[in-house]
Amino acid sequence: MIDILVYSTYFVLIVNLIAYSYSFFRKEKANVFLLCYLAFSTVMQLSMELLYHLGMTNLVVVNMFFAGQMLLLGMFYNSLTNVKSQKMFIKISLITALLVLAIQFCMNSSVFLKFNLFEIILTNLLIVVFALFHFYNMLTEDKTYYYISVGLIFYLLASTVLYLIGNLSIGLSDDVKLLTWILNSFLVLCYQFFILFEWIKSFSKKAFSPNKTTLK
Amino acid sequence: MNTHSIPEKELVAIILYISLFFIIVSVVLIIFFYFSRKKIIQKELEKKDLILQYQKEQLHAVLQIQEEERKRIAQDLHDDISSKLNIVSLNTHLLSAPNLTEAETTEITENIINLTAKALENSRKIAHNLLPPVFEKFGLHAGIEELCGEFESSKSVKTYYKNELDFDDKEIDRHLHVFRVLQELMNNSLRHGKSNEIWINFKEDKGTNTCYYKDNGVGFDSEDFENYRGLGMKNINSRISFLDGTISFESEKGKGVEVIFTF
Repeated sequence: MIDILVYSTYFVLIVNLIAYSYSFFRKEKANVFLLCYLAFSTVMQLSMELLYHLGMTNLVVVNMFFAGQMLLLGMFYNSLTNVKSQKMFIKISLITALLVLAIQFCMNSSVFLKFNLFEIILTNLLIVVFALFHFYNMLTEDKTYYYISVGLIFYLLASTVLYLIGNLSIGLSDDVKLLTWILNSFLVLCYQFFILFEWIKSFSKKAFSPNKTTLK
Repeated sequence: MNTHSIPEKELVAIILYISLFFIIVSVVLIIFFYFSRKKIIQKELEKKDLILQYQKEQLHAVLQIQEEERKRIAQDLHDDISSKLNIVSLNTHLLSAPNLTEAETTEITENIINLTAKALENSRKIAHNLLPPVFEKFGLHAGIEELCGEFESSKSVKTYYKNELDFDDKEIDRHLHVFRVLQELMNNSLRHGKSNEIWINFKEDKGTNTCYYKDNGVGFDSEDFENYRGLGMKNINSRISFLDGTISFESEKGKGVEVIFTF
């Protein structure tokens, strides 16, 4: 059951990566940071899978993934917004968050060997805030990357809680231990489908503009 | 329970972090809703302002049109009727002068008869221009036919008029607007477009009455909004909005004008 979910997640992720890189390299339309994010997620997922098969703990990679995800999605939303104060906020909060994480790593690197609760909350909530900035900007303008943002907020809010109780589940018995992770991979799959849907809506069609003026 | 394998400190940390998470999420969402609401309300106000501005502009246009129309009528009356009547009155004064020969009397009377005939003709023309009697008596179809006839006879324009609609005489008030729009369009085609062929076609399209208008003049750039700011265009637009219709212009430089409007 969980294998199917996990592997279909990998599959959709790779489909997304291919679709977006096609749009980026052929039509030069997709956002470069989004593409980086997808590539980064793919690499991280595959290395996590590899570490798992080698029988090593992959939680270090998970923690790296959170930091990288925040950085890339922060830059993604930074490139979408045109409001100066928002750009400033995104940049400052990204730098501060990375600094804080670096300090934490220097002071106590053992937290990176399990679920780093502070890091999870910090990175995921910052992304949610950035996505809400984007929603705020979209209120009166055309929708761009709308479905991705919807999927992202949905996924992050739901999965953050699952990650927060991740340390708890280590001590649980094997039958119930995986329950939260099945739920999590289901959420990831939903999120990846949102990204795919975004591509279908925004990039797969050819845009055309009729040369006509209508007054009413 | 398996909690014995997890230190109590960690359990507390998890609970604290989760509560912190929910607190931050709720605060962020509330702030988001607050600012979104503010933004939406502001946008709505801007929209209302824009509508008001537009209405104001239309009102100005109406007043301006009214003044111009008055000026035109005054000019017509002054040039074509008053001047003639002046000469008539001069001539009648001449008639009352003593010692006139028979020939002079007949010449003066002839003058008077001619001039009054001309003045009459002119006053008829002015009245006709203001509201064509054919339109009032026989409806829009006949009115447009006559309009086309006038354009053909006096202004060397070839017109092709086709009507597939059945106009209801009860809606004559609405039809007057349609008539005026066509009049304005034809005048524009002639004056600005220098066209010599005009097509007018009334059709029913998806349940609404639609008029297809086309000429072969010089055309204009339909993407350039400066072209929609003239008084005539404003007049057309306000008439169409009065009819609850839509209008679309399609034109390119050198390719004539195509106008489609519904009413």
